[in-house]
Amino acid sequence: MRTQVAGYRLRIEKRGETRWWHASLASVLAIAVSLFLLGFAFLQAGADPRQVYAEIARYAFASQFGLPQTVNRAVFILLCAFAFIVPLRAGLWNIGLPGQVYAGTLAAFAVAYLFGGKAGINAALPGWLVIPLMILAALVGGGLYGAIAGFLRGRFEVNEIVTTMMMNWIMLWLVAHMIREGGPFMGRTAEGEGFSLPLSVRLPQVLNVPLTAYGAVLLALVLLFFLAKTTLGYQIRVLGHSPAAARYAGIDTLFISTLVFGLGGMLAGLAGYHYFAAVPGVYKIPKSYGDFGDFSFYGLITGLIARSHPLAAIPVALLFGGMASGARFMQGKLQLTFGIDYALLGVLMITMVAFQALSEYRLSIERVPTSVALPLEREESRVESPHH
Amino acid sequence: MDSVERGQVVLEARGISKRFGEVVANDRIDLQLRAGEIHAVLGENGAGKTTLMRILFGELQPDEGEIFFHGQRVRFHSPRDAIRLGIGMVHQERKLIPAHTVVENIILGHPDTGTVLDLRQAERRIAALCERYGFRLPLQAKVWQLSEGEKQIVEILKALYHGARVLIMDEPTSVLSPPEVERLLQSLRTMASEDLAVIPFITHKLPVVLEHSDRVTILRRGRVVAELETKQATEQSLAAAMVGREVTLHVERIEVPIGEPVLTVDDLWARDDRGVLAVQGVSFEVRAGEILGIAGVAGNGQELLADALAGLRPVERGRIRLAGVDITRASVLQRWKLGLGYIPTERRDVGSIPDFSLVDNVLLNYYSEPTFSRRGVLAASEARALAGQLLREYSVVAAGPEAPARSLSGGNLQKVIVARVLSRRPRLLIAALPTHGLDVGAAEFIHRKLLEAKRAGTGIILISEDLDEVLMLSDRVAAIYEGQFTGIVPAAEASKELIGELMAGLRRGRL
Repeated sequence: MRTQVAGYRLRIEKRGETRWWHASLASVLAIAVSLFLLGFAFLQAGADPRQVYAEIARYAFASQFGLPQTVNRAVFILLCAFAFIVPLRAGLWNIGLPGQVYAGTLAAFAVAYLFGGKAGINAALPGWLVIPLMILAALVGGGLYGAIAGFLRGRFEVNEIVTTMMMNWIMLWLVAHMIREGGPFMGRTAEGEGFSLPLSVRLPQVLNVPLTAYGAVLLALVLLFFLAKTTLGYQIRVLGHSPAAARYAGIDTLFISTLVFGLGGMLAGLAGYHYFAAVPGVYKIPKSYGDFGDFSFYGLITGLIARSHPLAAIPVALLFGGMASGARFMQGKLQLTFGIDYALLGVLMITMVAFQALSEYRLSIERVPTSVALPLEREESRVESPHH
Repeated sequence: MDSVERGQVVLEARGISKRFGEVVANDRIDLQLRAGEIHAVLGENGAGKTTLMRILFGELQPDEGEIFFHGQRVRFHSPRDAIRLGIGMVHQERKLIPAHTVVENIILGHPDTGTVLDLRQAERRIAALCERYGFRLPLQAKVWQLSEGEKQIVEILKALYHGARVLIMDEPTSVLSPPEVERLLQSLRTMASEDLAVIPFITHKLPVVLEHSDRVTILRRGRVVAELETKQATEQSLAAAMVGREVTLHVERIEVPIGEPVLTVDDLWARDDRGVLAVQGVSFEVRAGEILGIAGVAGNGQELLADALAGLRPVERGRIRLAGVDITRASVLQRWKLGLGYIPTERRDVGSIPDFSLVDNVLLNYYSEPTFSRRGVLAASEARALAGQLLREYSVVAAGPEAPARSLSGGNLQKVIVARVLSRRPRLLIAALPTHGLDVGAAEFIHRKLLEAKRAGTGIILISEDLDEVLMLSDRVAAIYEGQFTGIVPAAEASKELIGELMAGLRRGRL
């Protein structure tokens, strides 16, 4: 793209190299710009944008009720982001986050169910045994469900975007079957909800936050090491950069693509376990399970904004988690129109993605030697081809 | 036509400069192109030849300098302006629509085409052009059915049909067999001498320049370093001007005792991506310390053969044995571990990963070795040490082992790939187009390394489209044509003419 302004040539060109701070700066600018843009929406709705943002921030990050909610949502997003990042490092797109989340969730609740967890919230189950088994089941369930797409990709070159997306529907309907009218996981009192986990098998908390949150941060470090320093991580990265080079180097592409989707599914399954079996106030598959399926896609956006970097995903996930809980609270408190909280998240997301793309370009400004350019325009038209 | 006289300057560039970021591609270049001449523009990769030609064709705008056409100063905003003045360009990469016929491709974009096509009249005019310049081409064929050489002729005809009197040719000989090169240059000669066309001709092949051009301009690092009549030039003087120092063009072939067979291939068949049997019943063996050259025009199955040997493609039929072990169905990794080494045609994206550091690129052939992978964790310091050592041994110009591969020139990148593969001391080395597109200096270096490997007892398959290279290095030369060997000739009997005819499928030799 090129344009000329008063003797200067402006050109948008691709950067040769992008440094890490380009991406970070782009994210910060994106937040500022989207908050600015949204300010008009709030003015329109009759609220002072400054007050709105202050309310959101206070609730999400500084209140006794909001902060744990922010953290729990952020952990869910973060684990989903990991589930997206690992296949992406191998050049594969995991659009199957909701499916894998619920594959893990159903597997975990199946363990509780088999141990008689449906009997009531006071049922005395051996927590020391059931809790680890539930986590394991979530990993295995999500992992196997994810691995299917990876295997199909590696063996038959079936497009993984299509398979994972379609498998989401299978799993969402399976959840419906399990928890709705007459389903085995249906709650005893409320229809359309899963049963509540007994107190004895709820994951313990430390400092008001379930253990899964600490696990997720630990996982960020493990993933960082795994991708950067291990032989498997290396093979994943090679495949992601060039499938042809991977084959040349003798990398088993079927194994790697199955592996990355297996790992992705495990992480998404863990996200499901975290939110539905470890977050205070939930402890069941809720009626609004479909919304949480949509919510898992924040993991995808987080992974993209963090450029597949597990540590960079943490602040992004916290931001989205905070917005998700704070915006809703603010909407209620200031009695704004319904949906403005979603608008907030949506605009933020789009701006961030746009700024990430823009950060790969730069604006170059050159002086145009005007003396050469102008008189020639006229001269040129006089030249005729001697062959005519 | 009558206004033009032989030797009159038709197109002239004065003081052309062009920068891309910090790279100066053209630095105050002067060039005069005269009616009736084939004007070779010679230079190594990155010397600025293509940039200069694209400026003359209006594809790029110069930062400084002027262009004159028949003495009139002109300014091209796009190739459209240049085409209107009768300037045409045949690019290195084809710009044709594969699903359309030859005629449709040629008339595409012609101002007289109008909205209703008169294909019959167009075909008559194109046939007349073919007749005049001696091109043979099926005009009703779809372009995807044509060979690379024929596609190039389509591009030339397209330029002529659009009225080109100045025909810029960018590396036209690289995809042709020697007889095809001969025919093409014959046609160009007709255009130049009879029709007083101007033919700027980019190349880095010295014999082509010497045999076929009238004048030659040599570029080095964006500057004109010499401009002379071809008659006054020698191969040595051209090479020296091009590289900027004296170079040895011919490495001495070395004789080493030929050992046991390291590779035996029996009746090998393999399919390409479209499912066509592109390798059809090839049988041969390679012995320790021997270089078997495989000469062929691009697209005759030689790259597929290399891929099949390396395990990157399934074998339809036949058998491959490496040092006595049947590897027909072995995985790529098993083959590497059994002593196969492969230098692939594609340096970027197959042989290396541009965004990876050189250390990580060296690991491509080492990640599974116990020394470099301990309990699943990469041994970073060992990898770094190996990469550093290879960079030193091969005098690779790079910022260091952590520099990204993308920052290296083609020649230096190829050195890294060759270094990495040869450092495994393979029993069998498959070198596919190892010096393709490299400058003279880098090519010479790679040749020496291949000969060193030969001396150390490696059996080498050298696949090349450059007949001079094959003849210079090989102990035996196999010619491949349409997926079959048309002859395997010992070096002593292999003449350029013989191999050229075998490559073009004009005759069959002993196998």
